Amino acid sequence: MEVLHNLAFGFSHALTFHNLMYCAIGCVVGTFVGLLPGLGPLATISILLPLTYSIPTGGALIMLAGIYYGAQYGDSVSAITMKIPHASSIVACIDGYAMTLKGKTGLALFTAGISSFIGGTVAIIVLAWFAPMLGEVAFLFGPADYCALMMVGFVCVSFVTTGSLLNGLAMCLIGVLLGQIGTDVNSGQQRFTMDLPFLADGIGIVSIALGCFGIAEITKNLDAKEERSPFNGKIKLMPTWEEFKRIIPSALRGSLVGSFLGILPGGGPTIAQFAAYAIDKKVSKYKHEIGTGCIEGVAGQAAADEAAARTSFIPLMSIGIPENAVMALMMAAFIIKGIQPGPNMIAGHPDLFWGLVASMWIGNVFLVVLNVPLVRYWLSVFKVPYNVLFPCILFFCCIGTYSVNNNVDDIFITAAFGLMGYLMMRLELDPAPLMLGFILGPMLEENFRRALLLSRGSFATFVTRPISGTLLGLVALFIIWQVVAFILQTREKRAQARNGGTSETAEATA
Amino acid sequence: MIDRNLARGLFLMAISLAFGLTALKYPIGDFGRAGPGLFPAIVSAMLFLIGVATVIRSRFVDKVALTLNPKNIGLILGSLLAFAVVTMFVNMIVAIVVMVFISTFAGTNYSWFRNVKISIGLVIMAFVFAKGLGMNLPLY
Repeated sequence: MEVLHNLAFGFSHALTFHNLMYCAIGCVVGTFVGLLPGLGPLATISILLPLTYSIPTGGALIMLAGIYYGAQYGDSVSAITMKIPHASSIVACIDGYAMTLKGKTGLALFTAGISSFIGGTVAIIVLAWFAPMLGEVAFLFGPADYCALMMVGFVCVSFVTTGSLLNGLAMCLIGVLLGQIGTDVNSGQQRFTMDLPFLADGIGIVSIALGCFGIAEITKNLDAKEERSPFNGKIKLMPTWEEFKRIIPSALRGSLVGSFLGILPGGGPTIAQFAAYAIDKKVSKYKHEIGTGCIEGVAGQAAADEAAARTSFIPLMSIGIPENAVMALMMAAFIIKGIQPGPNMIAGHPDLFWGLVASMWIGNVFLVVLNVPLVRYWLSVFKVPYNVLFPCILFFCCIGTYSVNNNVDDIFITAAFGLMGYLMMRLELDPAPLMLGFILGPMLEENFRRALLLSRGSFATFVTRPISGTLLGLVALFIIWQVVAFILQTREKRAQARNGGTSETAEATA
Repeated sequence: MIDRNLARGLFLMAISLAFGLTALKYPIGDFGRAGPGLFPAIVSAMLFLIGVATVIRSRFVDKVALTLNPKNIGLILGSLLAFAVVTMFVNMIVAIVVMVFISTFAGTNYSWFRNVKISIGLVIMAFVFAKGLGMNLPLY
């Protein structure tokens, strides 16, 4: 009952006129920017973050959350209609685009919209029950346990987002090092500032995000020089009752999978989509059709996507540790507004917490009511040629960085990170783990130093405490497994090459 | 041809050395009472190891060519820097126009007239931000 009471309290905050308006603006603007080629949720949030500076805290957080799932939805629209694979909706390209080829675009979009709604609703129930419970657990965590938890996060994110543990971990560590720039809180020593006064407070998260995701993405699209043909097909949205009945079971399955995977470290929408799609392929009544453009292939993954996007707020708000790069950016936004996410947030700011939870459901309604019927107008975004679009995106990057501190120095930093982001992209290094490392870096150092201070310099504290011992054990197991897998793989490849199977090795590496 | 895997390892090693060698100049302290240089030194050391591992790994996997296109990234960064400098010395409206005219050189075709239209649109947008959302922009 307490949960219902809390949710009612949340709705009373989220349903004020201003908060409803911020939620609607967030959803619409997020969808719009998320549709643009090359801009996924991360870039969208970082470009639009400055818009929320002058808005009161509660409204700003509601608007940012709206931007986030709006962007997520916009992403799936561009995946279904034009097969533009953003990082966040790769799975929607498979069956969704296959349905477009069959001329069922409207049905696919409707399925995605309704399934998202179901996924979001389930996730909010999970969020309302689970977040306060996990918040209680978080009070048991000592500094060493926090360090271990962050290490688990690094390893999981590295593996999940990049597929290569080595590259992902390297990016996490670079992020941690970048987070060191500025004044050391314990001693007041200026670190890595190269005597530049504007680096004394550290690098702004917006500069890094816009440099690595905005500028680098623009350049990537310019280098590719591909002209996309806009979508001009017909859209018939309403499904028949038969089709509608097929959506429900698959969407419910996806919601549960997504809700669960969204909570785990390194989890989030992408992995949830893949898992839900794989499960549908195994257990769905229509599994033989999946892959050829059928409703289940879209419904399950869309539900999982939205569910995971919402439950990934749980670790951020109840433990205070973001589990993926998008949540790291959200955390930065919380801190800019003067809110420290963590176990004390639910007790200290119940209006913000429950208001945000309730607004997520309202945002879901907006997505279904506003964005699904309007989807044909959204698609006209794609008729704007990229030659017009990219100066506009650049303009937003400039204004966005400038308005953080009302200072042009930040634009120079953004430019520097644009160059770095471009180099990293060409070297096949994914900047998403870097963001997580950058946000967690200062926390990691603080907890690391505190843990060692408490144990008088003995590293045994990381192993003997039950929570951190278990977590670090998992990390060690995972790394050993990766190394063994690489060695076995190399050996196999060599053996194949020796047997004269040159064509097979070429395939394996391609 | 530059091997991308090898270049990646060297890139990581270079970053780790840049941070690690600087970190050693700060007071290190000991583990019980860490100085400001200790933590970055440890992290840089780990990054250096990953760099070395990447270089070693590049010997065992097939080479991939590293392609760079300096023209586009140069133009985009140039337009950003121009925006900052012009904002500093003149004002932001001029800066927006300058940025549009420089950056569009990176596009597939260049149109003087289209740039004027984009500039007008963006200047109006900037006014909306400044007057409507209360952002503090030095437009004029």
